[in-house]
Amino acid sequence: MPLHGIIDTARSLAYWERLQDVTSNNAANANTDAFKADRLAAHVLPGATSPVPVQTTDLEPGALRDTGRPLDVALEGRGFFVVKTAHGERLSRGGSLRLDAKGVITDLTGNPVLGEQGPIVASGAKLEVHGDGTVVVDGAIAGRLRLETVDRPATLLKEGHGRYIIPAGGTRPIGDGEAIVRQGSVEEANMNPIQSLVDLVTIQRAYASNIEALHAMDSVLGAITTEVGRVQ
Amino acid sequence: MDSSMRTSASGMMAQQRMIDVIANNLANVNTTGFKRSRLSFEDVLYETVQGARITNANTAESVGPIQIGKGVRVGAVLRLHSDGAPEMTQRPLDVAIQGDGFFQVQRPDGTTGYTRDGGFTLSDGGSIVTKDGHPLLPEVTVPADATNVTINANGIVTATVAGSNGPTEIGRVEIARFLNPNGLIASGQNEYVESPASGSPVTGFPEDEGMGGLLQGALESSNVEIVQEMTDMIAAQRAYEINAKAIQASDEMMQATHGLIR
Repeated sequence: MPLHGIIDTARSLAYWERLQDVTSNNAANANTDAFKADRLAAHVLPGATSPVPVQTTDLEPGALRDTGRPLDVALEGRGFFVVKTAHGERLSRGGSLRLDAKGVITDLTGNPVLGEQGPIVASGAKLEVHGDGTVVVDGAIAGRLRLETVDRPATLLKEGHGRYIIPAGGTRPIGDGEAIVRQGSVEEANMNPIQSLVDLVTIQRAYASNIEALHAMDSVLGAITTEVGRVQ
Repeated sequence: MDSSMRTSASGMMAQQRMIDVIANNLANVNTTGFKRSRLSFEDVLYETVQGARITNANTAESVGPIQIGKGVRVGAVLRLHSDGAPEMTQRPLDVAIQGDGFFQVQRPDGTTGYTRDGGFTLSDGGSIVTKDGHPLLPEVTVPADATNVTINANGIVTATVAGSNGPTEIGRVEIARFLNPNGLIASGQNEYVESPASGSPVTGFPEDEGMGGLLQGALESSNVEIVQEMTDMIAAQRAYEINAKAIQASDEMMQATHGLIR
């Protein structure tokens, strides 16, 4: 029946449009430090009749880029830093940190990056961050960055500003050697520009062929309503 | 598709900003004491178009939420305060700071400026001033008949004055450092002014408590690395192109939709 077909095609058009939104956002964040690309794929779930779009965030670590800035930190491996925001604790993959006027280590938007004993004050001339997250200022230990992870990373929600909302299960400290803190580096976005370009072409073509199908079904419907039953 | 176009436009604007910063770094590659800047981007709000939901109540199977990002914004422009290499000039009034610290100078509006550019000259009254005529703080005046002006690593300025047989101390250079030099505001003329984010200056003599030492007869070159800027420029340019392509694709999809109505 063309009517069923039209509904299915409309659903499919909505899917491709959404995929275009996701791909555009990945491309817009091509140079965003520690950005994790999103993927969208259609899946037929058990018990369902039509495919549904399922989104996943690709949490693969990105490549590390040397910057030489002491407050640039990146995580090699899986895991997150913990940031204290006005709405509670959030997870973050780090990036370019800053000091506020009191010397507290914060993220780019001014939220303190938490250590095991709360915010870390780094007032001194020389700041070192060791692989296990220990912050050493002028030779004295100022604190140790909290490194945590979640059991089901798929349940993480993005909040923007490189932050993730902690899911219901809560977080746990990372295991030994699961992640290493690298000072003077930032993690590059893990989006793949070639894949994005291929996606853009695929989306455009699939969209166009769905439109073609709509046209065809529309013609059939048109024939039914105008030709069939015409009194000569 | 309207939203994907805006998302891509935010990407193009962000990459344009990156080119702006790179161009400024490259323009100042030979500026004394210049510190390169770097842009840091962040992703912006996500719209949750479909929440997480359970698909099979018996097995508690669930699918994750669908979140659509709305593009990118410039998070910050960060200045890298790493030392530039000292460049020997052999001019007695050229001074470089090796390590932490800024020279303090008196700006015409009465505020204190902070600079790493130690290419000083003398004013007609004999005070040590910057190229723009801003006097060094605390002021050091070189007597008219003095010869052999030397500035040692601790900032002590000595000169041989007529009538005495050895060098005499005529002043001492004090430098200032900040808890958060990234928070300083660049005010042009190679100078910075303090801001609430930088914290208050801590002043002291060179080579004291974490302060850098002075090196006479040298200027600090900029810390811009051309190779680094070039690779950043390529990255920005390619990201710009891919965003332009995404806009083009959205546009063609929109045209196809318009074609539905005959």
